[in-house]
This record gives sequence, C-alpha cells and structure tokens, in this order.
Amino acid sequence: MSKKALLILLALMLALSVFGCSQTEETTATEEETAAATDEPVVIEAPEATPFETMSPNYADKLGITILYEQDDAMINNYSLLAVNEDAPFEDLDGNAVADVEINTVGAKALIDWMLGDEATELIGNYGFEQYGEYLFYNKEDRPVSTAEIPQATDETKTIRLSTTTSVNDSGLMSYLLPVFEDEYGYDVEVLSAGTGKAIAAAKMGNADLILVHSKTQEEPFVEAGFSKVLDGYDSERLTFMYNYFVLVGPKDDPAQCAEASDVKDAFKRIADGKYPFVSRGDLSGTHTKEVSLWPEELGITTDADSVADYTEWYLYSNAGMGVCLTMANEMDAYILSDKATFLTFRANGGIDG
Amino acid sequence: MGGAFQKAFDLLFSGDGQLWNIVSVTMQMTLTSSVVALLLGVPLGVFYATARFPGRKALIVLNRTLMGVPPVVCGLLCYMLFSGVGPLRQLKLLFTVPGMIVAQVILLTPIAAGNMETYLSGIVGEIQETARGLRLSRGRGFLLTLNESKYALVSTYLFGYGRAMAEVGAVSMVGGAIAYKTNVMTTAIMMYTNMGDFTLGLALGILLLCISLLVNITAHLLQGRRT
Repeated sequence: MSKKALLILLALMLALSVFGCSQTEETTATEEETAAATDEPVVIEAPEATPFETMSPNYADKLGITILYEQDDAMINNYSLLAVNEDAPFEDLDGNAVADVEINTVGAKALIDWMLGDEATELIGNYGFEQYGEYLFYNKEDRPVSTAEIPQATDETKTIRLSTTTSVNDSGLMSYLLPVFEDEYGYDVEVLSAGTGKAIAAAKMGNADLILVHSKTQEEPFVEAGFSKVLDGYDSERLTFMYNYFVLVGPKDDPAQCAEASDVKDAFKRIADGKYPFVSRGDLSGTHTKEVSLWPEELGITTDADSVADYTEWYLYSNAGMGVCLTMANEMDAYILSDKATFLTFRANGGIDG
Repeated sequence: MGGAFQKAFDLLFSGDGQLWNIVSVTMQMTLTSSVVALLLGVPLGVFYATARFPGRKALIVLNRTLMGVPPVVCGLLCYMLFSGVGPLRQLKLLFTVPGMIVAQVILLTPIAAGNMETYLSGIVGEIQETARGLRLSRGRGFLLTLNESKYALVSTYLFGYGRAMAEVGAVSMVGGAIAYKTNVMTTAIMMYTNMGDFTLGLALGILLLCISLLVNITAHLLQGRRT
C-alpha cells in the first residue's frame, strides 16, 4: 500500500514539475464541476414541488368544484373481480405464443373467495362512513357469495399480484381490506394501481394473477379472448360484487346548470351545448369509458383522442389519473366525471376546498 | 407551505412504518444503483478517453445519445423485458427492487462514463505521458488515472446519485410502486398527489431533499479532505 502511494505521489510530483501551469487550470475546472454537481440534485428535484407551489396561491380565490349530479341508475359504477387464466393465449410483442407464464391461480382464488365471503362483505359495506360520513362502496345484492374454505398461503402461493384501478386504491379501500386478509391467511398481496385499461393490459402481459376493474366494455373482450377463467364454485368469469356511483363534478356556480338536468345525459348535453370546459381522463380507465358513453351521440366522442379533435377548445383529453384531473378541473373551473369514492377522498385530504 | 414543513417534521418523528419503508427502499435502490453505475461507468469512461481504436468517436457519440435516454423509455423497455410474456421473464425482476436497480443502472452508466470521458479528455495526454515515463503497467496506469480524477469521481457519483434519487418514470414502470415493496419517495409523492394529499406529498419531497443534502454535505467533506 505505501509503495503504491509513494508511486502515485512520485507520479504526481513529476506531473507537477513537467506541467506546472496546467495543474492550476485543472483545479479550477474541477472546482466548477463539483459546484455544478453539488447543486444538481436540487435542480432535478425542484419540479416535484412546483405544481403545488404555483397553484396554492390561487386556492383562496377559486370557488372550488362540487358534486352537481349523482345517484342516477345510469351512473352506477360496477366493480368486478376477474381471475387471470393461467392457460390464457399469452403472446409476446411479436405475437408468438408464450406457454410458461406463471400465474398464481390458487392465490387469486383465495383472495376472490375472501373478497366474496362474509368478512370482506361487511368491511366493504362499512368502509368510509366514519371518515367521510358516507359509504364509499356498496355490496351488490346479486353478488356471487363464497363460503369456500380459504387455504393458508404456501411458499408457492404466497405472493398474489392484484392489478386494480386507481379508484379502489386511492380511496384507501385496498389498504383497509387487504391487511385483514394477509394477517389471517399469510398471503402477500402486491397491489398495482392503474386505470382499468392499463390494469387489463398488465394482466394480458402476464403481470397479474387477478384484476379488480370497473368497465364492462373492457372486461368483456378480455374474457372473450380467454384471459380469464371461471373458478370452481362460480358461474362466471366476471364476478361483479360491489358498486358505487359516478358523480358529475363541476364549478359551484354551475354555469351549465347541470344540477337542474332531467338526467345525466341531459347534463352532459348542457355542457357540450355551452362548450363549458370539461376535463376527460383520456387514459382508457373505467371512468373514461363511462364518460364517453354519456355525451350526445351526434358528437361522436369515443375513447380515441382523434374523436375529440374538433372540441379541443372546451374538451380536455388529459391522459392522467383521477386526482390530477380533479386538480385540473378545480383550477380551471371545469366539469369532470369522477367516481364518488375518489372525489370524497380527494376532498377530505384537502385536494379541493369546500 | 408551512403546513407541509410541519407535516414533514411530524412524519419524521411519528415512527410511521410505511414512511420508513419508503425511505429504506429509496436508499437501497439509490445507493446500489449509483454505486454499480459508478463501478461500470468509470472504467468505461477511462476506456473511452484513453483507448485508441477505430470507431472510438462513434462509440462516444453513441454513449452521449444513451445519456439522454428518457427514463420512461428505459422503464418501458425493462417492463417489456421482465414482463410475464417478456424474453427475460425467468429472472422474475418485474415489480422488484433489483429490477428497479437494473433500470437505473442502464440509465446511469452512460452518464457516469460520459462524465469521466469529458473530464479525462483534457488531462489524458499528461497522464499517459507520466505513465509511460514511469513505465507503469496498464493496471497501474489506470490507478494513476483514477487518482488524478478523484475530484471528478466524487462529482460523477453525486450526479448519478441525484439522478437515481429523483427518478420517477422508470421506477414507477418497473417497480409498480407497490406499497411496502417497491414504493420509493418519488412514486409515493405521485401517489399522495393522486389522493389529493398535497401536503403529505410535499412533506415527502422535503424529506427527500434533506436526505440529498446530508449525502452532499458528507461528499463535500470527503472531497475537501482529499485535496
């Protein structure tokens, strides 16, 4: 070690004596570089904080947005559980069949059995009342009911990958339910939270054992393509078990007078007729799928961004999560469709005044 | 804003299990990926700067291109590779911390290599002359080069560390932001923002900056002692 150090020292001295002047240049260069590097993380991380900083001063002068239209049968938001079929026609990106995709069917069935059993049903039925003064989810009367015995987790079945929509996760339902299941049976549920479209895409790529989603129009092709299977003791791939409502949210002064609409389609027509700003999720989520079905048909609005190219002055195709969209709507005094659970959670957390 | 600082402070001392899990996953991912990227990138950078062979310029241009890969593209690539139907599915890296580290290393290595190359290009002639004069072996010549660029090494590391810590696009895709498993500071901030809890998001951001500050102070002291 000392020999090496001596060698390096010698080399340094030699370098110094031969290139005396260049040494000083070098030092200044490195000093500058270090100063830049030390500042670097600060520069990079600053944007994390700016969206909030820039918008908070406006908060006080904003009226805020509120629920204008709700509890209509057309606004029912059904949630379904679907187990992923381990023998599904999985394909890689080039369209070649992939046979050895590992799916934890035993774990998926255990979680589904539990979700449809008495314990979870009671928990779901009570969720949110204490915190928000309202129930956030309701159990469906005709839901499939399970009395199956749930096996304890083994090393192979321990990890369950649940791909779910942002609404059930952001509303806190999953972190309220799952620890009970995990403690009791020893499983480890990994929750991936994304819009319904992305949740289904993840399952098609073999990255989920079961999905919890809320868009019938997207679930049906998934089932028809063979990606889901009927579990023992059930009679359908799609196990629709709970629901809540979509709500039309908008500025408190309600310029489109949606609150007086005869039905939800009329409310949407009023927004379109008056070209009042409307924030669309634009991310193929269940909420997005629902929203496009509520516009007057002659507008031709679909989940495809091209279909709204003529309406860009009032229709904002945002491609973002529910929370981000609610923030946008709040800032722009725009209308927006939201599931009620996310809206109430968002408001309770201080995301929206009033 | 004051609320966020208060909340950050409260969070720190609340002993909140999830917070400490997020911090530890973040540190594990950031430190491992930045160290691995340094170990891979520095020799590569020295190679770019010192080796003479046809195609060297092209390789440097390629490296500079890779320095600008958008993290989300790297995340997508890793997601595809590690997916249940992807070619590397057997590795079982999707939605794991090692998977996130792989994505980060892919992003950071070209940056470390590029930084070293840029720094060394100005002094490589002198070092090589010295090494020749002293009849140093290849390995010793490399050590001499490293010794000459200690200062740049630290700043290269800090740069990589900062990038790894601040990154969100790649880690959210590869890691999936799973609570108690792959949720890091940046993805947690996104999550809380989506839930409308801006204050908690900002509080986490403040903690993130404080950790960065500590690391930078430590590095600065180390740097100061060596020169």
